[in-house]
Amino acid sequence: MTAQIIRRLLWLPFLLIILTIITLALAYYGPGDPVQVMLGPRAPKEAAEALRQQLGLNDPFPVYVVKYISKALQGDLGESYKYRGQPVGPLIWERLGVSAQLNLAALLIGTVIGIFLGTVAGLFRNSWVDYGIISTVVLLDSIPTFAITLPLLFLFAVRWRILPPGGWQGLLDIRAILPIAILSLGPMTVFARQTRANLLEVIGQDYIRTARSKGLPESMVITSHALRNSLIPLTTLFGLALGGSLIGGSFFMETLLGIPGIGRLAFETFLARDYPVITALVILTAATIAIANLVVDVAYAYIDPRIRAT
Amino acid sequence: MGTLLDVKNLNTRFYTQDGVVNAVNDVSFTLDEGETLAVVGESGSGKSVTMLSVMRLIASPPGRITSGEIMFDGRDLLKLDDDEIRQIRGNRIAMIFQDPMTSLNPVLTINQQISEVLQLHLGMDKAAAKRRAIELLEKVNIPEAARRVDDYPHQFSGGMRQRVMIAMMLAANPQLLIADEPTTALDVTISAQILDLVKRLKKEVGMAVIWITHDLGVVAGMADRVIVMYAGRIVEQAPVGELYASPRHPYALGLLKSIPRLDEIRKEKLEPIEGLPPDLINYPTGCPFAPRCPYAIQKCLEERPPLAPTTSTKHLSACWRWQDVKR
Repeated sequence: MTAQIIRRLLWLPFLLIILTIITLALAYYGPGDPVQVMLGPRAPKEAAEALRQQLGLNDPFPVYVVKYISKALQGDLGESYKYRGQPVGPLIWERLGVSAQLNLAALLIGTVIGIFLGTVAGLFRNSWVDYGIISTVVLLDSIPTFAITLPLLFLFAVRWRILPPGGWQGLLDIRAILPIAILSLGPMTVFARQTRANLLEVIGQDYIRTARSKGLPESMVITSHALRNSLIPLTTLFGLALGGSLIGGSFFMETLLGIPGIGRLAFETFLARDYPVITALVILTAATIAIANLVVDVAYAYIDPRIRAT
Repeated sequence: MGTLLDVKNLNTRFYTQDGVVNAVNDVSFTLDEGETLAVVGESGSGKSVTMLSVMRLIASPPGRITSGEIMFDGRDLLKLDDDEIRQIRGNRIAMIFQDPMTSLNPVLTINQQISEVLQLHLGMDKAAAKRRAIELLEKVNIPEAARRVDDYPHQFSGGMRQRVMIAMMLAANPQLLIADEPTTALDVTISAQILDLVKRLKKEVGMAVIWITHDLGVVAGMADRVIVMYAGRIVEQAPVGELYASPRHPYALGLLKSIPRLDEIRKEKLEPIEGLPPDLINYPTGCPFAPRCPYAIQKCLEERPPLAPTTSTKHLSACWRWQDVKR
């Protein structure tokens, strides 16, 4: 197991370098011109050319890549094209903090509620409780973030005036309630359905019949025999969601609620062909997902004795 | 010896989308203290469902025990509430199952799974339960029990897991052990070891055993008495020697003819029972075995024969022509 972890950690730098090259290639050869976005379509040719030279966009591709990687290794990810003069690192870091706090809080809340709802639905399968929970969950899952943000914003901030209409003052501020609620719907629906499905599968297993034939009360059959087995497969879902929540952000929600998060930054920089920021975001995302996968696999070994042995 | 278990007119149904499955039909039998009863019959004959009904482990829905009486030690198990039946399960009546590979919980240690029974029924604390769990594992011949008690099921072979199951189910010294084809999934040598183990433990503990099987060889070596089931009904019931010597139901006769014998020098072929068991949803009005039966007469198709005494009050058969049935 340890050998496997080390092997995978050693692979990580190669993975990141390959990914960097691909991302830079897409930026270098892809359509769109950052200089045109920065200076406007009617800028004089000489000014554009000078800027292009300054940004290194006239270098041959291998030079462009080597320059980028060697600077990145020294911790310099370049300057943003859109926010002139701002280094990419701190720019992303600031936004990342905001989105990650929101996402993590939402993921934890969504997971706990989701597992609870899924367990209840599974225990009362094919009753009105089950149908009620599952149809609500499917309904919520089918509504895109932008479609649910507006009505909620309207109801809570405009009609009832219970919550402020937006802004960001940290996680423990009343302004965080609405975005967390909206973001927790995603994990909540996924975990509710998955928990229910797993629980129903586990309840049909022979060892549950064994547990009942021992005379255990149903509550113990569920908690110590069924739930644990049905939660194991959720580790994957949770781990990957955790990885995603550290780096991802919802563009619509962040824009509508005025939250300075990563989703907004990503969208803005995509539009502006802000290659340094985009490249850094892609690499960061890939690294986070790769590490999250590794963490999930290690976590499995602790949770499931069958994997520990191999 | 007194009667331990007295099942009267037990009926168990499954309410499925295709209709009502008549899984157990008017099953009555008794079991004395310390007796070993074998229940034989082909797959779907109602052996397991009958015993799961005794344990009140029929999943509901879709299953339901629709009528009958299961007297155990003077109490009707069907009249007990959920808490009362739980105090019987795993404590007074224990059950082991066919597939030892899937019958143990993969994420709990052997100790946790055995101790659970001891803590629940005997009120032991954790430490005492563990000590007892090790003793129980030693009793079922698990080598290095003290070390292996903290292992997980996947670290044991199939035969070892079945031993663990037996240890777990004997933890509370039950008066009745129901074994639902516990050796079917094991190879022959391991199966023989498990049989010997149960025989030995039975002697030590003095419990009664109901052994569900479709292996008539096992029956001969284990049982005092045999019940033959077909289509959810008991068709013949006899002391084990009598059943082998002179079966009084054509189905039991058919079963015996379909096993190879070492004491006959050369016989052309084994005789299978032709045809298929009846549809348990559209249950036949006459004898359920009649369509496959070489002895069948018109009466068999019209009127169902009751389970009635034949040559003695201990040898029952549900056949109109039991006198004509000969080996």
